[in-house]
Amino acid sequence: MTGSVDLADFLPAYLAEAEELLGAAHRHLLAVEASVRRGLAHPRAVRELFRALHTIKGLSAMVDVEPIVSIAHWMETSLRLADRAGGRLPEASVEPLMEGLREIEGRVRQLAAGKQAAPVPAGLLERLEALETAASGTGPTKPASAALDLDAALSSRLSTAEREQLTAGAASGKRAVRLDFVPSAERAASGITINSVRERVAKLAETVKVLPLSGPAAGGSSLTFALLLLTDAGDDALLEAAGGPPGSVRSLASAPAAPAPARAPSEPELEAVASRVDDEPEEQRRGGGTLRVEVSRLDEAMERLAALVVNRSRLTRAVAALTAAGAPTRELTAILQENGRQLRDMRAAIIRLRMVKVADVLERLPLLVRGLRRSTGKQVRLELEVGDAELDKAVADRLLPALVHLVRNAVDHALESPEERLAAGKPEEGVVRLITHGAASGLLELCVIDDGRGVDARAVAARAGVPIPTTQDALLEVLCRPGFSTRDAADATSGRGMGMDIVRRITVDQLGGELRLETKPGAGTTFRLRVPLTITLLDALVFECAGLRYAVAVGSVEELIDVDPAKLVRPAGASGVVLVERRGSAVPVLSLERLLGREGPDGRNGAGVKALIVRQRGEPVAFAVDRLLGQQEIVLRTLEDPLVRVPGVAGATDLGDGQPTLVLDLAALGAARSGNSRRRESVPGRERAT
Amino acid sequence: MSVLHVVFKVDGAEYALPAADVLQMESYTGATPVPGAPSHVAGLVQVRGRVIPVVDARARFGLPAIQRSLDSRVVVGQLGQRTVGLLVDSAREVLKLDPAQVKPPPPLVMEGARGFVKAVAQVGPRLVMLIDFPRVIGEETPDGDGQR
Repeated sequence: MTGSVDLADFLPAYLAEAEELLGAAHRHLLAVEASVRRGLAHPRAVRELFRALHTIKGLSAMVDVEPIVSIAHWMETSLRLADRAGGRLPEASVEPLMEGLREIEGRVRQLAAGKQAAPVPAGLLERLEALETAASGTGPTKPASAALDLDAALSSRLSTAEREQLTAGAASGKRAVRLDFVPSAERAASGITINSVRERVAKLAETVKVLPLSGPAAGGSSLTFALLLLTDAGDDALLEAAGGPPGSVRSLASAPAAPAPARAPSEPELEAVASRVDDEPEEQRRGGGTLRVEVSRLDEAMERLAALVVNRSRLTRAVAALTAAGAPTRELTAILQENGRQLRDMRAAIIRLRMVKVADVLERLPLLVRGLRRSTGKQVRLELEVGDAELDKAVADRLLPALVHLVRNAVDHALESPEERLAAGKPEEGVVRLITHGAASGLLELCVIDDGRGVDARAVAARAGVPIPTTQDALLEVLCRPGFSTRDAADATSGRGMGMDIVRRITVDQLGGELRLETKPGAGTTFRLRVPLTITLLDALVFECAGLRYAVAVGSVEELIDVDPAKLVRPAGASGVVLVERRGSAVPVLSLERLLGREGPDGRNGAGVKALIVRQRGEPVAFAVDRLLGQQEIVLRTLEDPLVRVPGVAGATDLGDGQPTLVLDLAALGAARSGNSRRRESVPGRERAT
Repeated sequence: MSVLHVVFKVDGAEYALPAADVLQMESYTGATPVPGAPSHVAGLVQVRGRVIPVVDARARFGLPAIQRSLDSRVVVGQLGQRTVGLLVDSAREVLKLDPAQVKPPPPLVMEGARGFVKAVAQVGPRLVMLIDFPRVIGEETPDGDGQR
């Protein structure tokens, strides 16, 4: 085990790189599969897939993970064949390749968990090897009957697929010809340009490729366009389309010929790809000077910044005290302001560092849907419209399981079988869309939309044993009950803890976001999630209630209002909930004192002077507070210990006095403790929602 | 092999915790109450940049609350991944306890103390009770011990 020390040093980098390459490999394989399905070649994706696997193989050999090397090697071999076949892959090949990728991924995970990589599963290599023989046995469209008569300069600029297209076309009875068009100023003046020639030729022939060739050409020009065509038209018609002489027509196929030339030139091509990978790996994959950083280091930078922010608060107070005592603090105050600006900029910079592209986070979803397509037998198309929105890595990591749940639910529960869909007059193929919008005040909105059968409120109610919910929010409430499932029999997919309660726990409890539901029977369902872009550093309103200070995220507060105790309305029988008028509608005012269990002996009934209006399940609710102390930037520390992980408390922060200040999530606090006392149990122990 | 223990007092009685489980001692200047936390949780305190919950030993042992004094201490203990404080009346001594000095508590104590005391050590004329720290702090889950 001499290599073990080196391995340990290299492993984190290896894992990160392998992870990235696997992501790319999955993407390209899915693209290949999509092409295979439509009977098309996809040479670029085949090549990219090959490239990713080749690099994985190389890296794995460096850290001496033999099983991964073997799997990657055999996958490469079958891809090399596919590349020779012009990027065409037999449909039966996709599944073993998927399996291979899954197995590699599994082994990378094992390494990440500090375990040994398991040996290659029985039969996999044989299945991959069988692909090779199958592919070479049945072969791609055999160009044996025709060979191309191309000069070297031309040949080198054709891809394997293009070459195959020409030979295949020639083999099927068309003429493969090279039509030369020589542009000139006079011709351009009379409207004959490469574009017009292209158009005219398109009516006569299938254009495989147009190659500009520089160098002395007929008619004294220095540029020729060589159009490689497959056609039934005669030479004269073609020549006329190219504007006549000095253009020319030449036949490319010299049948019959040896089968070799068509295949031989392609051989070095993949090798060239491979060696290119080895030669210039850095520029290729880290283009634009990107740097990979471990998250723990970013966390550390954030910690340091947090300390600075706390220190600034203390400084601010010390200066305020000096000012109050009559000291000349004008310059100090100015410095403090500048310092505040710098900290804000610094904060923005660090947050930017922690941002990841939502699109990157979601790259596993197409694979998930593919798996579901197979396991459910439903036809599904996943559409991602996520643009270039970005999220804090910490938020993204927590959010992904929720999105996986929603997409899985959509395919598993919401979409009908193809027959049902046809019967309902819908297209056979169901659509699941994931859309993001950047919302104001540091929030990101994500929608998971399906065009399935919609949620049947009656069935949900019957299953949960509750009255039929009359609003969508109430319906969501029932769906989010722990352990609730709309499936009768737990099958392979729904048996894996499909609860919407997990989605809500992540979105609402962990991230302090919002979850909404819109569903139309027969037309589909939309889940709308609003989550903060970052949860570590936030702008907060600090206020006082029952003698203690609390903070809430500015983004969660819709409005601040003054409350005139004389204008509060107390509806009879509403157990102390009072109403306040706001722009023509009645808003319930909750006593924050009571919610916090800090009701004073004088029983003022929470009629504070100010109130914060928060949306709780879509409805505005006012929380009365005693005094607003202002707005400031805080560092949120989440409370991990089960003793203090309670609904309504998002975490704690230090406002500079060394004493923790609670950061409240008012909507969750109200929901957990107000009249309809639905007890939301906290997550037990170390369980992680998956 | 005698083991170093931290000795602290709650309501006149002496208790001990292996020093290896104790990170540090802090004087107590009040904790931030957390609404909805179990009743024996005094609240949150900040210790070297970390925010930790503090369990009030008096409340946990079912003893009447007293005015906290300068003697009050928070014994900061490590419990696996968790760091939790225990608020005690005072703590000013460390003791080396020989396993021979340590005996299981009498059955009556076992029952009466709800399992908080797991052994009793005789130190000269004094009786020092070894506490079951995980049990005193509370179960892994907030709802586990039926306190809520």
